Amino acid sequence: MSTERTPAATGAQAGGALAFERIFHRYATASGTIDVLDDVSFAVAPGEVACVVGPSGCGKSTLLSLAAGLLRPARGTVRWDGAEVKLGPNSHLGMAFQQPGLFPWLNVRRNVAIGLTTRGNAKRDALRIADEFLDTVGLADFKDAYPNQLSGGMAQRVGIARALALRPRLLLLDEPFAAVDAFTRIKLQQEFKSLLKLNRPTVLFVTHDVSEAILLGDVIVVMSQRPAGVVRIIPVEREDRNRASPAYARKLAEALACLGVTGDADGG
Amino acid sequence: MSAPIVRAASGGRFLRNRVLLPLVGVLIVACAWEATLLVYQLPVIVLPAPLSVVQTLGELVVTASFWHDVGISLYEFGAGYALGVVGGVAVGMLMGESRYFRMTATPVIEAFRFIVPFAWIPLTILWFGTSFTGKILLVAYAVFFVMVVSTARAVAQVEPTLTRVGTMLGMGSVALALNVHLRAAAPGIASGARAAAAIGWIAVVAAEYIGASAGLGVLITNAASSLATATVIAGMIVIGVVGAGVSEAIRWLSRAYLDYR
Amino acid sequence: MAPDTDPRERASAARRPLGPRALAWMLGGAGIAVTLVAWSLLARALEGGGGVISRLPGPLLVAHDLAAYVTQDFARDLVSSLWVFAAGWLGGVVLATLTGLMLGRVAVLGNIFLPVVEAIRPVSSIAWVPLSIVWFGFGFTSKAFLVGLAVFLVVIVYAVDGCRRIPDDLARTAAMLGMNRRQRFRNLILPGTLVEVLIGARVSLMSGWGTVIVAELVAANSGLGAHLISVQQSYDVAAVVATMICFGVTGFAMNALFSAAEERLLPWRRIARADAHA
Repeated sequence: MSTERTPAATGAQAGGALAFERIFHRYATASGTIDVLDDVSFAVAPGEVACVVGPSGCGKSTLLSLAAGLLRPARGTVRWDGAEVKLGPNSHLGMAFQQPGLFPWLNVRRNVAIGLTTRGNAKRDALRIADEFLDTVGLADFKDAYPNQLSGGMAQRVGIARALALRPRLLLLDEPFAAVDAFTRIKLQQEFKSLLKLNRPTVLFVTHDVSEAILLGDVIVVMSQRPAGVVRIIPVEREDRNRASPAYARKLAEALACLGVTGDADGG
Repeated sequence: MSAPIVRAASGGRFLRNRVLLPLVGVLIVACAWEATLLVYQLPVIVLPAPLSVVQTLGELVVTASFWHDVGISLYEFGAGYALGVVGGVAVGMLMGESRYFRMTATPVIEAFRFIVPFAWIPLTILWFGTSFTGKILLVAYAVFFVMVVSTARAVAQVEPTLTRVGTMLGMGSVALALNVHLRAAAPGIASGARAAAAIGWIAVVAAEYIGASAGLGVLITNAASSLATATVIAGMIVIGVVGAGVSEAIRWLSRAYLDYR
Repeated sequence: MAPDTDPRERASAARRPLGPRALAWMLGGAGIAVTLVAWSLLARALEGGGGVISRLPGPLLVAHDLAAYVTQDFARDLVSSLWVFAAGWLGGVVLATLTGLMLGRVAVLGNIFLPVVEAIRPVSSIAWVPLSIVWFGFGFTSKAFLVGLAVFLVVIVYAVDGCRRIPDDLARTAAMLGMNRRQRFRNLILPGTLVEVLIGARVSLMSGWGTVIVAELVAANSGLGAHLISVQQSYDVAAVVATMICFGVTGFAMNALFSAAEERLLPWRRIARADAHA
């Protein structure tokens, strides 16, 4: 991967501090309001990777939207670098959503580039950077394809490339590798770790896969059922990441226990 | 519901179903037509022979005044259509973007929606006489309301993730509206544009039936008063052909530029 | 499970004191009020005469005329128009259902005649007005024919679709129960067709009503459209506007009535609003 970084394109400094302070959140549906987050508080240190795991529908995605300034919490404060996160566009972050959200009228290359041009880069630079990141996620051959020609997993990867290309200080990812087959996932996880070494952004990463959380995260935030609160924050050490090690098994068991999964596969 | 209702088949069946049998159908209709004439001895002014209609059509097509009339109708339609589309899409986008505007404007728009464009014809005649302006405004009115409703609906159906993506990438409200919502709603707007064209075209014809000095509708009503039935039917065929042509043109355009579904 | 879409809306929702429905009513009312005020001002401004739109009566004048009309001749004209409309509409629906069933179920007939129908369909019934006058003159038959034609052309598509598109699971159930042809027709095909026909009939309401109006405007001797032409010819602009409002209200009432009936008869269908005008 190219390591050439022009000042305009990079704009990257190391990640900042993200903090959730006593977050309560609910949203309105046709049949009433649903409480989603119940007194969630935790902090992510600069450059740290925090993986959020929890049952389906417990509000993990809502946390990401709050951190991105797409929602304002019903109660509580979300802080970035000490200041309250403002509603609306925030230029310090990049986010990959659960639905890839690619613009159907742009090809893959332009989809990745559009974030850069919106944030002020020159078109030529934007396209060049887009190409770089598409190479990284393994989609070099699909640069000119349109979203309706891509599979779900491929579209998801484009979304990730788009977020990464912004070289954000805060990276928010919503189950980015969920729709990808196991082999590609391992490859992408490895690529992801090396990418992070370049810029060291702060990362908030939602996943349903606990083993992935151990591999990628510096810290695992375990959430409960909706309305979700923080069950436990589990730090991850280097030796935990070795899948063959007993440390890994212990960490996995600990995390699963927090999620209410105990015993072995036979239900014992 | 504008999808064709003839079923598709394949191979030899295709030839039979889509080509041969429809021709048989046309032949049967033509024969029934002729038969009715013979059996009932209907005067030509009531039901001219099919060949006579075709002949009249041929004569019309080479007449300069015919094209003059068609041109006038098309001009009235085109100008009104352009006005109506631009205005309708703009207001529709506003309604999609701002809920306050939508809540304020909706009752007004609903009130006008039920006053069918044709009901405005006498008023436009009072105000503008038989001039072009009246018809152009009439078409614009009819097209406007169709486009407002289709545009607002299309914008409302834009996938929410796209909006979030746009905001995340740094787009403000205006940039979001123009770069994301408008582009994403374009296919829906285009299909609204097709429906609007059909309504606008018939509005011109109706207006010309009721009060005009020139145009395709005038040609037909004059023929009707002088009981030149063959011309009347020929004129109706022209109405259908032009209407279908405009609709197809819009469909072709939208397929060429908006086919990213 | 996606939360709200517009961050700005969510933010303001937290601060808004009024409920959304109250707000809708207020703003909507404001919109109408603004329109009426603009109308009055425009009428006042144009009073001086000159210019193209030299006559625009203010809302009060129109309301006065409206009241006068409604208490006098409106009922008579309305009944006349509705009579024609109902006759044509009913005829059109029945004919379209029968024809649709025939053309939809008998493949050969369908392949022969449906293309002809498809060719005629784009030509709006309104284009037929002069021809109808030549054939039937002015009067009831002429108008009923036009309405019937308009309705027929709309509903036949629904009828054909309805009797052709039988949901797979229902067809399999019928086969499993061992229904013979007659039973299949009565229990499966006919109801399915009628459901579609009802929906098409609703869609055709506005086309049919528009056709009546145009027919009466061109060849007027009785009905709402005739009244409209007559007041236009006597240059009574206020009465013209008042009559137009009557048209609107009538159209709205018909639509509402039919929607209610549809809800009652077909509660399991999500009825999409028919926005086909005329």
